[in-house]
Amino acid sequence: MTSDSTTAITTPDASTGDIRTLRSRKAGHRRAVDPIYYAFLLPALILFTLCITMPAVIGIFFSLTNSIGFGDWEFIGFTNYVAVFSDPAIWASYGFTFGFAAVTVILVNVIALFLAVLLVSRIRFKTALRTVFVIPMVISGIVIAYVFNFLFSNSVPELGAATGVGWLSESILANPDLAWLAIVIVTAWQAIPGTLLIYIAGLLSIPGDVYEAADIDGAGKRQQFFRITLPLVAGYVVINVILGFKNYLNAYDIIVGLTDGGPGTATRSIAMTIVTGFTSGDYAYQMANAAIFFVIAVVIALAQLRVTRGRSVL
Amino acid sequence: MAHRALRTLAAGIVLALAGGVLAGCSSGGPAEVRFHLSKPEAIPYFRDLIREYNDSQDDVEVVFDTSSNLQAGFLRGNPPDLGLLNYNMEMARFMERGALSDLGDMPEAERIRPDVQELVDQYATYPGRTSVLPYSVMAASVIYNVDIFEQHGLEVPTTWEELLAVCDTLQAAGVTPFYGTFKEPWSIGQGWFDYSVGGMVDVAAFVEEINELGTEIGPDSEVSFQQTLKEPAERMMQLAEYANPDAPSRGYGDGNLAFANGEAAMYLQGPWALGEIAKTDDQLKLGTFPLPMTDNPDDLKVRVNIDLAAWIPESSQQKEGAREFLSYIMQQEVMDEYNAEFLGFGTTTDAAPATDERILAMQPYYDDGRFYQGVTKAVPLTIPIDNLLQGLITGGSVDSTLSRLDQEWARLALRQ
Repeated sequence: MTSDSTTAITTPDASTGDIRTLRSRKAGHRRAVDPIYYAFLLPALILFTLCITMPAVIGIFFSLTNSIGFGDWEFIGFTNYVAVFSDPAIWASYGFTFGFAAVTVILVNVIALFLAVLLVSRIRFKTALRTVFVIPMVISGIVIAYVFNFLFSNSVPELGAATGVGWLSESILANPDLAWLAIVIVTAWQAIPGTLLIYIAGLLSIPGDVYEAADIDGAGKRQQFFRITLPLVAGYVVINVILGFKNYLNAYDIIVGLTDGGPGTATRSIAMTIVTGFTSGDYAYQMANAAIFFVIAVVIALAQLRVTRGRSVL
Repeated sequence: MAHRALRTLAAGIVLALAGGVLAGCSSGGPAEVRFHLSKPEAIPYFRDLIREYNDSQDDVEVVFDTSSNLQAGFLRGNPPDLGLLNYNMEMARFMERGALSDLGDMPEAERIRPDVQELVDQYATYPGRTSVLPYSVMAASVIYNVDIFEQHGLEVPTTWEELLAVCDTLQAAGVTPFYGTFKEPWSIGQGWFDYSVGGMVDVAAFVEEINELGTEIGPDSEVSFQQTLKEPAERMMQLAEYANPDAPSRGYGDGNLAFANGEAAMYLQGPWALGEIAKTDDQLKLGTFPLPMTDNPDDLKVRVNIDLAAWIPESSQQKEGAREFLSYIMQQEVMDEYNAEFLGFGTTTDAAPATDERILAMQPYYDDGRFYQGVTKAVPLTIPIDNLLQGLITGGSVDSTLSRLDQEWARLALRQ
């Protein structure tokens, strides 16, 4: 979420041209840097190395062993990696996670953009409504998950029974084919506010005179949205889609609170399988899984850099 | 998530370093023994015991530790000096790698019933050592509502046929025979599956054989999940037909409440549920009986687990002090009092029998050694057996679930 909010703050002021000229100016102008800058950089660098880089390297190192987290171990080469690739449980978790992330990212962005357009238009109680919509963002995922767990298991089935709607009267969480939908709904419920904020920022950065001109030319609201609004917030769409997708790939807390990977193993995410490595002595094996997942995350991050640079949003 | 996990790991390393520094600072005075126990219900009981012990002598000062991470403790060579906790596969790994010291020379070790000590060895052994002393055993079987049984003139069933007859009678009278809480996978493994398998199959032998088979397990091996456990699994599915229709969306808490309110006649849970049920209705008359799975009453057995077991790590600096405190808590009257309060069964040859009505019926089975440890507990956690069984009981196929277990077992054997 933090990365979302920083983009939200920086992007609206930085109109595209400015950033480019700023960059080229910096590049062409080399001068001695005050060493104090490096001194300030140092604590962050040390912490990052100690807390992120080193554990990652240690983890990758252990993925080449048969360690269970303590005690003796020996190198077993790439056996763990071979085993990961031939493990249907792990394939299933990747399939579920990517499918879930793709569906969620589409749902979240469509709804958030729709709400954002409403919330910047001239309606009453705009500020109050914006506040209401942002509330889900500040509640912890596991709390939301437990609340929805109760709703899906008890309230919704009761409602279904009372109204005689058959398909509602059975808990969606108990249905292996539909449980993932519940996770999509809850994740979207929590993720829409952050996305919404970025879209509002994006919409506010569109100058009003463009719409005035469109009005004069006789464009309808619909045409204005598809011909003006959408192209002008395209950069924000890209940001939201990529950041969102990356976040949803890490899905963990909401799933644990809702289905705990069930029914059966229908909703086990990648993150959940990796955590079993710590809790059940499959340390080295899941480290291999984590290393593969890390590579995928890096690929996505690089793709994000390329795309966003092209769109010149960042 | 990769990042989050790594960050956790890093934090662990930093804490470990800090812990090492702090540990070096301990000074003279009485030997400080760190005693680890994490069973939440038992914490007040042992807190009192520790206070009594500390007041009674000056050589050893016992410090209560109810929260530290064992895996991390062993990893950095700083585990608690004495552990008293649930003994299972995960714990057995520490023993298997020689991390636990030998307690075989303690007089207390002599008092442990051999067939109970044997339960420890079913998970793992370390040559020449008695590393773990069982302290309390929990026996689990079918919990039944005595009043409902009496109202319908039902006797406790002792064969599979009788069990089905009981279920049919109850169902015909509009009573739900079993209350299922299939939303929580562990309740399926612990109750439905373990009872079904334990009532038909020699679990210890089965586990030993599949461990030997390792990667060889499969449709053609002599024993396997898909062959040996097929019949129990099919019978479990048959019994699941008698469960409440909304079982897939009911959890453990829902089950305790519903059972306390008399919404079903039988409940496949352990004695830990009895206390929860009593919170709703402490006048409810409840009894227990082993789930009959065959036509022979001699096959009846109860499921047991070592609820508390004591061990002293090899790397402990305070082994002597830890042993002294262990002898203190292993005095017969202390153990008896604990078991009476927490519905446990004694592990020593001279233990007092259970007195609580609700678990009384399991005493003869326990005394005769007619018990087994749940088969799901012999499967490493990395194979999500409870989740797979959840998939089965909520409408999966017996054959594909069990053959999936064989495949997972073989794959795990290959890489470990």
